[in-house]
Amino acid sequence: MNDFSIWVRKWWPGVLPLALIWAAAVWITTVPVEQDLAAGATAALKDTVLDKTQIEMSGRDVRFAADAFSEEGRHSAVAQVESVSGVRLVHDETRLIPEAKPFVWSAERDVVRITLSGSAPLPAIKSRLMDAARAISGGAEAADHMMLSRGAPPRFDAAALLLVDQVGKLKEGKIVLTDTAVSLTGMARELGSREAIAAALKNLPDGYTVADNAIAAPPYIFRANNDPVAQTLTLNGYVPDNSAHATIIAAVGRKFLSEKVVDNLKASVGAPQGFAAAVILALGGLSRLSTGSLTISDRDVKLSGDALYPVAAEQIQADLAPNLPQGWKANAEISVKPVASPVDPTVCQQLFAEMLSRGKIKFESGRATIDADSMGLLDRLIETALRCPTANLEIAGHTDSDGDAAANLALSARRAQSVVDYLVKAGLPKERVVAKGYGAAKPVVANDTEENKAKNRRIDFVVR
Amino acid sequence: MIYLAMFNWAWLLGAAVIGLGMGWIAVVRRSEGLSPIALRRIIIAVVALAGVSLSRVLPGRFGYGLDLGLVMFAVYLLGCALGSWLRYQVISRSASAN
Repeated sequence: MNDFSIWVRKWWPGVLPLALIWAAAVWITTVPVEQDLAAGATAALKDTVLDKTQIEMSGRDVRFAADAFSEEGRHSAVAQVESVSGVRLVHDETRLIPEAKPFVWSAERDVVRITLSGSAPLPAIKSRLMDAARAISGGAEAADHMMLSRGAPPRFDAAALLLVDQVGKLKEGKIVLTDTAVSLTGMARELGSREAIAAALKNLPDGYTVADNAIAAPPYIFRANNDPVAQTLTLNGYVPDNSAHATIIAAVGRKFLSEKVVDNLKASVGAPQGFAAAVILALGGLSRLSTGSLTISDRDVKLSGDALYPVAAEQIQADLAPNLPQGWKANAEISVKPVASPVDPTVCQQLFAEMLSRGKIKFESGRATIDADSMGLLDRLIETALRCPTANLEIAGHTDSDGDAAANLALSARRAQSVVDYLVKAGLPKERVVAKGYGAAKPVVANDTEENKAKNRRIDFVVR
Repeated sequence: MIYLAMFNWAWLLGAAVIGLGMGWIAVVRRSEGLSPIALRRIIIAVVALAGVSLSRVLPGRFGYGLDLGLVMFAVYLLGCALGSWLRYQVISRSASAN
């Protein structure tokens, strides 16, 4: 043991080369150690959600700075760095991201870009929202002005993703989510988009509410153009559905005399209340015009064109507005077609016959009230009557053979009288027109089929 | 400590080799060596440095240098002890053979 203490006292010269290799070791290994520990710390934080993570090594000490999204997340991140083998000290410079109160997020669309701004709770959610924005941008730029904040309501990501999808249905506008309240402003991209957005908002997660939906839709347009030269009625724009489409086309068939119908109508949601009724009423007005056009934009009805005679112009103007559904506005600009040159009675009779072969004056069943669908035909008959001022007219009412002969006679007389009254109201001198009922006495065909009976129920214009 | 030993094993091996050589020579070296007082001072200084290292007072790279130096010094001392013991064994065996 005594020997050992003597040896120990003689060990000191080796300290000099030891010091040299120690200096060399420190010189050479410091940077690799720092790199190795930094890699270890980064790997330890791989599954931890942080923002703006910074790891700086000085020897075996770590300066660890990061934005954490919760207090637990912050503690666990620091603990994970501390647990890396070889790390001596951790200088904790982590902090919590600021809390947003209220938590406001918004998505805005204009002509060139979609901008997401406000607060998002996590980087992953932020990037998912941006991906969604790019997916719906359709070539427009997607700009990220979001910052990270705490305090998001539960299921924020589901709600925000749904809202990004709705921004895709806007032409321009903004959707703002304030905590759990959604407010929307702007213009829908196309007809039906507004309704689609409203429907989609029903799928917002529980607890989310729509505080304000001020999305406007493009106007719901319906156009009809009556061209007498080409004898064509052109229909453009939208109808709510196939049944309304069929109803409108059927009304066109009843009201217009064998004009060719060019049907360019498309079905779309978003029609104003009472659309079909308003269209049919306005088409009735159009059917009385020689040339004219009808434009319905949302609840505004614009009817313009030439009536066949002055009284008709007044009637069309007076009939339109009061009969439209509530909330609708009418704007009728009706002028009167210049009076055509007079013709002699023979030509008049030919014109009457030709017109009545294309359409019939119809009445309400069993009554003498003229059907509104026959106004277009009546106006054309009246225009012709006005062109032959020298002719006296007999308005002859006929029925089929069904029912009591006396009743038929009376009905035919009353119906003829209705037409005469109408003609007089239109401006024909009373003394030039006379009504006569023939009952079933003068059938044009045998009353053997329903079709033939319909042919026999008629009003004839006879020049005397 | 384990991390230091694993990462810097080659340098520690160097320190052990120097210690082994020094211990081997020290047994037969004719010199006075350190005085007991100097040895005591050195021991106190090393213990103090070990205290500094364990208390992690020195920051960053200085702390790393100190830790590494102390580990190398400890390995050196072990090398010395082993070297001296081996040389002693060799000498006493040859002496008994004579």
